[in-house]
Amino acid sequence: MTISKTEIEKLAKLAKLSFSDEELERFTAEFDEIIAFADTINQSIEGGTEEIRNVSARMVSFDDLRPDEVASSLPNEKILSNVEGDNGFFSVERSKK
Amino acid sequence: MRARISELAKRLQSREISAVELTKAYIDAIEKLNPTLNAYVHLTFDTAQKAAEQADQMLKKGDAPLLCGIPMALKDNICTDGLTTTCCSKILKDFKPYYDATVWEKLKAHGAVLLGKTNMDEFAMGSTSETSCYGAPLNPRNTNYVTGGSSGGSAAAVCANLAVYSLGSDTGGSIRQPASFCGVVGLKPTYGAVSRYGLIAYGSSLDQIGPMTNSVKDAAIVFDAIKGGDRRDQTSVDYDYGSSLAESLDRDVKGMRIGVAEEFFDGINPEIKSKIEEAIKLIERNGAVIESIRLPALKSALPVYYIIACAEASSNLGRYDGIRYGYRTSSYASIEEMIVKTRSEGFGDEVKRRIMLGTYVLSSGYYDAYYKKACLIREEINREFDAVFEKCDVLVAPTAPNTAFPLNYKGASPVEIYLSDICTVPVNIAGVPAISVPCGEDAKGLPIGMQIIGKKFDEATVLQVAHFYEQSAGKVIGDYEGGAGI
Repeated sequence: MTISKTEIEKLAKLAKLSFSDEELERFTAEFDEIIAFADTINQSIEGGTEEIRNVSARMVSFDDLRPDEVASSLPNEKILSNVEGDNGFFSVERSKK
Repeated sequence: MRARISELAKRLQSREISAVELTKAYIDAIEKLNPTLNAYVHLTFDTAQKAAEQADQMLKKGDAPLLCGIPMALKDNICTDGLTTTCCSKILKDFKPYYDATVWEKLKAHGAVLLGKTNMDEFAMGSTSETSCYGAPLNPRNTNYVTGGSSGGSAAAVCANLAVYSLGSDTGGSIRQPASFCGVVGLKPTYGAVSRYGLIAYGSSLDQIGPMTNSVKDAAIVFDAIKGGDRRDQTSVDYDYGSSLAESLDRDVKGMRIGVAEEFFDGINPEIKSKIEEAIKLIERNGAVIESIRLPALKSALPVYYIIACAEASSNLGRYDGIRYGYRTSSYASIEEMIVKTRSEGFGDEVKRRIMLGTYVLSSGYYDAYYKKACLIREEINREFDAVFEKCDVLVAPTAPNTAFPLNYKGASPVEIYLSDICTVPVNIAGVPAISVPCGEDAKGLPIGMQIIGKKFDEATVLQVAHFYEQSAGKVIGDYEGGAGI
């Protein structure tokens, strides 16, 4: 299948990325090839038995979780040391005036 | 000369050399060679010198662990408290983690001396380390060629003797393939064998941390030190390996059942194929039984891997929003614009491609056809591996279908590069352990790696077969001249 520029733009929006026109041209061409590669999965063996289909359900088990314990967490000032922190909060520009 | 942990440990423990002297020798070598090789992207010499002094204190008291005072390196996606860790991405520029990864916490307790953080593909996404925002590391064996990736800097540092050992991470071959390209040993442990707390996530159902070393014994020594369950990584398992794996390597291969699957040899460079076949013959001559086996689902392994890894990456990398980490765009009118601009400026092309593919396969209308289907085939691959290990103790395969690519290899599309992961990704999909050991060189003198794959939590057998091969094959690749001399 081929993917249109509009579809790429929609995906980029979902992924919170933006592309210039030149990048969009290049990405659309590359993406076609990548999707064709991903599509080879559909030429391969069939997806297995019902038992396999239920595997994802079996993988998520809430039976063996450890009990919650209260423990100390990382100090705020350390967590904020990499960013523009303000009085113990992450700060961004005001977006609503 | 290739540095060995066990030999250096003896010299340190007998006080023939001090940890400070040894560290100095490595720092000198890094200062001399790293400007060319670009193996390290952040140097931690001050911390290394202090750690070496502390190691000398531990050594003086006696009874120090084998890794005490040994200079080493960590891949730049392993968090080190207060020391820059960037995943070689602009989006984590200058990021200093505020806690240590469990593996680093454990190695520090052993008296490890960290020389620096090593170069890698951005967010571990690549097979050549060329997607690093710091430029590619060069293969020390021939600087016109890539190191492989994504743990390329870790492989180059060990190969060029700029570290005695290093840690890498392996999501689809990122320890084994660069180990193969640089002629070193690389172990990808069983999924869950080593805690990933503090490893910056790429594909969480596949990622695993492991050692890169100059010998199988060294890989076992490092694995002994880093393995074990951790309550901070829910996927880790406190598996009882019994005694030290490094001390139980001496077992011959007599009667051992070695599986060879033709699917691993499809489309392999003939020079590589013939070296692996020679190695298999050597193992057979020593009494192992070679079993010809089939793994038909392997032909789907590559798309399954890229679908699952990218789906997980698109979710894992959602956290880079310009608010909580490193880089933030300089001008923006709204929060949404800040996030989009930060991510678009901060991520490189390969990372964007993988986020886009991951978003695509998880998006409405495509989820069943790609992501769900990939998960189902993954189970099929798992079942085939389980069945094979009913009959075989280990599988032997090439590590990569080719030796190192030339730098800036033109004409290779992203998909062509993805195809080169064919021999390594099935191991991650199945969550089993595998090691790459050097088994020869091609006509250009570039190293070739052989992969030994085992069943889950059977690193012991994988290491034993690899050690046996390494000892019986003798010298299979040329020495690297250079690096730290002591």
